[in-house]
Amino acid sequence: MPSQPANPNDPAVGRVLGTEHTSTSEFRVLLEEDEYLQLDDLVVVRTEVPKRGEVRTYGVVTESEAIFEGASFESDTRRIAGEGTMPGAKVRSARVAVTRVDPEIWVSPDPGEIVERATGIERDRALYVDEMGRPLPVGVGRDGSPMFVDLDFFDGRKGGHMSISGISGVATKTSFALFFLRLLSSRPDILGEGAANLRILVFNVKGEDLLWLDKPNRYFDDAAREQWQRLGVEPAPFPSVSFWAPPRTHSGDVVLPDTGGRQDNVAAFTWTPREFIDDGLLRFLFTDANDSRNQIPFIEERVRAQLRRYAVDVAGEPGAVVLRDPVEGHRPGDQVTPHPGETVIRDLRGLVDQLEEFVDPEDAEPERRWTGRTQAGTVSAFMRRLQAATHRLGHLVRAGESRRIDRAAAQVSVVAIQSLHDLGQRFVVGALLAETFAEKERTGQRLPLSVVVLDELNKYAPREGSSPLKEMLIDIAQRGRSLGVLLVGAQQTASRVAPEVMENAAIKVAGRLDAAEAERAEYGWMLPSTRARARLLKPGTMVISQPAIPVPLVVDFPFPPWATRKEEVDSTQADPFEGI
Amino acid sequence: MANLHVESWSPDYGSPYESDAALAEPERVDETVEVPGKWEPISGVDDGISEVAFVDGVRRVDARLTLDEPGSPVPGLCGSYAVGAVLWNRSIPRSEVIEARVSRLAVFAAGKGAPIPVVSPELSYRSESVPDSDPAALITRFHGAMRRAEGELSEELAMAGRFVVSDGPINTMAATDKVGFIKSHRAPYLSAERSAVIARLGVAERTPLFLIGRGGTYERYSWYFRIAQLAGGHSWTGVVRGEVSAGLEKSRALTIAARTTAIIPAVASESHIDPRAPQNLVPIAALERELRRRLGDPGYVYRALRSAIMRTTPAGVT
Repeated sequence: MPSQPANPNDPAVGRVLGTEHTSTSEFRVLLEEDEYLQLDDLVVVRTEVPKRGEVRTYGVVTESEAIFEGASFESDTRRIAGEGTMPGAKVRSARVAVTRVDPEIWVSPDPGEIVERATGIERDRALYVDEMGRPLPVGVGRDGSPMFVDLDFFDGRKGGHMSISGISGVATKTSFALFFLRLLSSRPDILGEGAANLRILVFNVKGEDLLWLDKPNRYFDDAAREQWQRLGVEPAPFPSVSFWAPPRTHSGDVVLPDTGGRQDNVAAFTWTPREFIDDGLLRFLFTDANDSRNQIPFIEERVRAQLRRYAVDVAGEPGAVVLRDPVEGHRPGDQVTPHPGETVIRDLRGLVDQLEEFVDPEDAEPERRWTGRTQAGTVSAFMRRLQAATHRLGHLVRAGESRRIDRAAAQVSVVAIQSLHDLGQRFVVGALLAETFAEKERTGQRLPLSVVVLDELNKYAPREGSSPLKEMLIDIAQRGRSLGVLLVGAQQTASRVAPEVMENAAIKVAGRLDAAEAERAEYGWMLPSTRARARLLKPGTMVISQPAIPVPLVVDFPFPPWATRKEEVDSTQADPFEGI
Repeated sequence: MANLHVESWSPDYGSPYESDAALAEPERVDETVEVPGKWEPISGVDDGISEVAFVDGVRRVDARLTLDEPGSPVPGLCGSYAVGAVLWNRSIPRSEVIEARVSRLAVFAAGKGAPIPVVSPELSYRSESVPDSDPAALITRFHGAMRRAEGELSEELAMAGRFVVSDGPINTMAATDKVGFIKSHRAPYLSAERSAVIARLGVAERTPLFLIGRGGTYERYSWYFRIAQLAGGHSWTGVVRGEVSAGLEKSRALTIAARTTAIIPAVASESHIDPRAPQNLVPIAALERELRRRLGDPGYVYRALRSAIMRTTPAGVT
């Protein structure tokens, strides 16, 4: 016999439906007349299992249904509700996906048992919060209470990386990523040891949305404040942010950051020819996924290695180099005075011109030491690409004092690459990722954590083809977890991203999805009902899947306290960090 | 414990039996109680009554039994019947099942009897017997029990002041507001001259009242009326007969006849939905469906009964 609710004025909402089989993955609830369940509500059922005692089945509502019982033809609806000539009872029910059974005796709930709303400790159990190593609130559920992500599955202990999908235009992907990082950096009590020296690298690829992270938002209201506080965070803009932008082209000797709305506190970044050569950045000039189909990678690799051997610093010109045959006996760190007539390489143009003399000289044979046995056609293709790159991102390489991005300058480094051509964007992303990863590879330590936020991941790690950038992203996805390099990748369509990258993201998030996209295998982690809803999600609502919970959760995240456009900047509010 | 057995034949086996006590023999009819002269169709009058209760019953033979008596085996049956009511509230408008009573009965022939083991609290049969040894008498008794229960329910509701339309002839003659609703026409009540008017009845029109069974036990007013006009139907298509107790004042009987004639067409069924359309009324069809459901799953009942009886019958005796 079904048990009676322990407390008559509480959480019982209905009974487990007995007209169809219950299972360990799903059951339905017949609702009491004066109760309701909506999507995402959490419920618990107690079942008496022979020989084992009480088992509690927890679940989340995935569908809500209602029907006229007694109606067998569609027109009976009119007879029941319109004419009233046919008796029929309105029956409401809800479909529940099981999230947990406790203790772990995998039996289905008994039909007829009382279904209760899971609140308090029962809610935590339904969401496995009691088992999470470090539960970080990542938004509120439909019931207004926080929903959690287990950080063990983000920071590399048990899993790493986050993947965010959603159509563009509703501005939820980056917003959610930043919201998550703000929580992450505001809750050292939960993050633990990883909180010290946490570094976050964010690429601004569209508009100038991310150039205002340190400014208060004038539209931030008390309702949003209350939501933030419910998550245990006092809402404020990011306290420690550095902004970086490429220099303007044609600005002469003055290096000014190429940004529109914001000029103050934005630093221009460049690499010197010396840094370009030492870091092997040449490879990031060949990031088109089609380049790998021809022989270009071979010649690029050879040229890259030769540059390292040939480059010698120039006395009195920091960052500039000349290329000399190593047989001349220079050693690392040497500074030389250029010979008369010798080309001093001060920018990418200079470098490319010098290379052309080696690999594709007019009226002469190419130097085999630089080209190997590559065919002439390939060499020409190589040079054509170099010339194109010079045109598009030449301004990123210039001699002089070092202006490389200092990721240690602030907790969050925002790199604004929206003004660059695709090729330039890929170059900067590749250079910075390589730098970050190499740094961590050297130490071999997981801590301090380094988080990279990258939107339009499909551009950098496309599903088809291969490129140095894609290989590196795959490497980060596969090994970054143990090295503390954590990727927060965002894309419109997960199906266009290299599967190796997607598969390694322990935490998967989706905002509103294109209907066709939602049906793809990449979203297999969603329940069918969640997929159907993914088309309708509002900005500020996300679906989150994590290894600790077998069903995806739907959460709302609050409006940001920082500005996302220049017009949102609240200039009346004094900047608390001004003058620091 | 006698040797009781459940027959392995399907309980449905055997010819369906219809019993209508009132049809036993031709009765005297007085055609002049309302209109002594020439009959013309009369329009129904809806007096705006807000609630109508429909009463009906269903029955089902759950199992055929054999009692192994010395001499000759005694036939018996186990059956379930349910009677219930739907209340049509015309002002909201809504209908709901307000009453559903399930009974279970075992009947044995030849005056014999045996208790049926209680299968479960919801499934226990009372046991009766009929003197006859004809198996058809078992069904007669069973059907009669259901009709009695219907009558009791109708009477109860009518006594509580409700206007009752009950499926089939009325079988209690108390002077209350209850109408028997008769769908099939087996006995000719009217003279040929008078019955000609039936072909001319429009929807929601009736014949004048006539009195059946004057001076007998079942004295009642009756009238024919049309509840639907079907394309291509014969002249009696959609014609039903109503009857009320003659214990009522004639004026009261006329009010009820007028009202019934006017409002019943609203609940007539449609032929693509109900094979017994239009006479099988929508609330009654729904009530029957609900009552059948309340009888329980026939397969489950049959098997539970069978295993309960087998447990109490000594093994090895067949």
